[in-house]
Amino acid sequence: MTSFAADRAHRTTQTDRWLAELLGAVPGVALVAVGGYGRRELLPRSDLDVLLLHGGRDDIASIADRIWYPVWDSGAELDHAVRTVPQARRVAGADLKVALGLLSARHVAGDPELTERLRAGALEDWRSAAPARLAELHAVHDERARVHGELAFLLEPDLKEASGGLRDVHAIQAVAAAWVAPAPGPKVRTAYEQILDARHALHQVTGRRVDRLVLEEQDEVAVALGLLDGDVLLRMLAGAGRTVAYAAEHAFRQADRLRGSRLRRRRVERRPLADGVVEQDGEVVLARAADPATDSALVLRAAAAAAQAGLPLAPRTLARLAECPPLPVPWPAAARDALLSLLGAGRSAVGVWEALDTEGLITALIPDWERVRNRPQRNPLHRFTVDRHLVEAAAHAAALTREVARPDLLLLAALLHDIGKGWPGDHSVTGAVVAGDVGRRMGLPIADVELIAAAARHHLLLPMVATRRDLDDPVTVRQVAGIVGGRVLLELLHALAIADGLATGPAAWNDWKAALVADLVRRVAAVLAGEPVPAPAPLRDDQLALAADGGPAARVRGSEVTVVAPDRPGLLWRAAGVLASHRLMVRGANATSVGHTAVSVFDVEPEYGEPPDATLVAADLCRMLQGRLDIEERLQRRARAAPPPRTAVPAPRVTLVDGASETATVVEVRAHDAPGLLWRVGRAFGEFGLDVRAARVETLGAEVVDVFYVTDAEGKPLVDEEVRRGIVHAVLAALRDSATEGTQVPRSVPLVKLALFRSRRGSPRTPAPAARAGPEGLHSRPVLNNVPGSVAWGCV
Amino acid sequence: MKLITAVIKPFKLDDVKAALQAFGVRGLTITEASGYGRQRGHTEVYRGAEYQVDLVPKVRIEVLCEDEDADDVIGVVVKAAQTGRIGDGKVWSMPVDSVVRVRTGERGPDAI
Repeated sequence: MTSFAADRAHRTTQTDRWLAELLGAVPGVALVAVGGYGRRELLPRSDLDVLLLHGGRDDIASIADRIWYPVWDSGAELDHAVRTVPQARRVAGADLKVALGLLSARHVAGDPELTERLRAGALEDWRSAAPARLAELHAVHDERARVHGELAFLLEPDLKEASGGLRDVHAIQAVAAAWVAPAPGPKVRTAYEQILDARHALHQVTGRRVDRLVLEEQDEVAVALGLLDGDVLLRMLAGAGRTVAYAAEHAFRQADRLRGSRLRRRRVERRPLADGVVEQDGEVVLARAADPATDSALVLRAAAAAAQAGLPLAPRTLARLAECPPLPVPWPAAARDALLSLLGAGRSAVGVWEALDTEGLITALIPDWERVRNRPQRNPLHRFTVDRHLVEAAAHAAALTREVARPDLLLLAALLHDIGKGWPGDHSVTGAVVAGDVGRRMGLPIADVELIAAAARHHLLLPMVATRRDLDDPVTVRQVAGIVGGRVLLELLHALAIADGLATGPAAWNDWKAALVADLVRRVAAVLAGEPVPAPAPLRDDQLALAADGGPAARVRGSEVTVVAPDRPGLLWRAAGVLASHRLMVRGANATSVGHTAVSVFDVEPEYGEPPDATLVAADLCRMLQGRLDIEERLQRRARAAPPPRTAVPAPRVTLVDGASETATVVEVRAHDAPGLLWRVGRAFGEFGLDVRAARVETLGAEVVDVFYVTDAEGKPLVDEEVRRGIVHAVLAALRDSATEGTQVPRSVPLVKLALFRSRRGSPRTPAPAARAGPEGLHSRPVLNNVPGSVAWGCV
Repeated sequence: MKLITAVIKPFKLDDVKAALQAFGVRGLTITEASGYGRQRGHTEVYRGAEYQVDLVPKVRIEVLCEDEDADDVIGVVVKAAQTGRIGDGKVWSMPVDSVVRVRTGERGPDAI
């Protein structure tokens, strides 16, 4: 296999020769390659950026004809222009893109003198207008980064446009061309070649001029590059993207300084920040007295000072810090404190960490970090690579340090909670081991090491339980209390859950989850303090009033839907079906009863932001309760309208979770999200003569985790092995049918007498007030858009 | 039956209309359109602006005809619209399931 670089050079040479032949021998004319073609980087599907330069000939149109027509006819994409040297310089002066293209102008054929005049003129213009042009370049760069995100942390990055991508290197070269910053160093050049090769392979694999490396192509592109698989490719690109982004940031800093210095000559001022660390000209540098060779804690001290001051570390300072001897193990207290001060700085710590990482200083401090460095997360919830996610989590944790007894442990736990992802197996389990090791290396006392290990081990406990278990079930709270064991760890886990969620991505954390976790923490804290398991909040007066006349009635209020009807089985999932037919996603549901009246309370969220008319929803719920509504037909119509999943969907999984409740059997269903899933699964239970007492739904991207608290006719958990096996099959069958269901009638006749499980506590939990107290987000928005307050719809 | 669609330079419309009439086409539909093709909307060879895509005004002609006439109609349009310069346009045909003349309710080839 010839190398990609050789292939590009070869294609460029061939194209040069072809264009030269097309031009022939004409005096006073030159063909100039600009842009990527000028850089000899013709990929299989690249555009040809060509400028036909002339000294003002009248017959230039016919010369252009001679070249452009054959190129068009060949099918190549041509970006062409015909200009004189002054014209070209004028256009470049008005259009940044053209100016950047001219910076890589290369003579192809014709009069070399003309090309040279253009090159020299373009460079001269660029340099003389540098302050304005570079500011423009910086603005374009920022906008590009905003639109396309960061190459290093995206699962499907745009290799050209993303921050850290190819265009950033061209920007660095442009800054260098203005004599403002040095040209890209060897590291950046290597990174550039890696990204360019990946783009080259992407063109080759897809046969199209695409720059975005989507998931489906990653494995094939990796193989074309001689890499093992898409993960290895993404990891390589993440490393390259970080190198480029960091260098670009530095180049722009230099460029901005140029602008500042033109405005006013500043006196060089040095302001001390920490022992051996000073600020100079907006950057953090080492004091003259500092001695990296003997001062091993200097790296962390300088980093902490930079983060606390919100300033970048100067590149030459970073290079000098690399000379520091390794920290002794265990670390001295001063180093530990500096690390905490760095992490405690919050947001500004991220950039400093990134800078240390680029110089390899992080892995020198924490060797285990290497395993998570640039590691992609193939998970729709995550925005960042594992290492960046950890730093982001620590930055978010810094805002929560007032909430916990041990802020130091919170910061370290946030930094290390996912470090187990660098090893095979359950990352919580491996993470506990590695986090403990790192803690010991840092010289923490053994009790603290154990707390950090426990925090890593259980960092998913609170969010998982809060979203997937019935908090009203005493077993739920008792189990969590048993695992957590003490107040200190509970606080740590709570703050860690928030920081982790915020650092993961917008889909992973919201007001709803936050309120559920807070509710769980409150209950567990009470149990840890020796109080009895807190009783669930009773039904509110308005709900009791609704239930007083026995129903049927339905009420929609904000994100809460209450359905009241004479006690009868299957109420919960039938009502869920009605809600689904109105494009309301059910996130949680609880059934209970008052006397002979069943009360189901739902927590819902509109599927497409705009809530449906509450009056219509309530009316349909009533029609369902009176048996006048064909839910199945409705949902089928919706299922037909819903687009089928684009990619292959993994098979659904159904698990019976033992010991999660004493009063019901907990059934966990993981499946691809589809309208009416709750209804469909509930019906499958109904056909077995079982009922659903409570349900929780958690959406993870396109996946859902539905948890059902199922009871038999007597309101007891299921013990019969046959029934237990049977319902797993029935639920799986119901999920499989979901896409193909047509004219089917309910398959089997209920075997057991149906009965609605009656909550022994007499009243269900109402969603915690905090759940809808958020300043923004779906909860604070009323579901009603046309009726203020609430709608109650009594049925006659 | 076939639907022939042609996207051509606006100033060629009269030539194409006359040629189709001479061929015996009894009806056509004209729409003003805009778009670009391989030259990215550059209208003149010697005034390109690299990196810029323009939408050029065009005329879109639609003609219904019987299957056996389709190739001839395409030939007539191409001959009349050709200048040999960039931006001359494109002609394509598509199968048509059914046609109804609204006034009389005639269907199929009778309705053309």
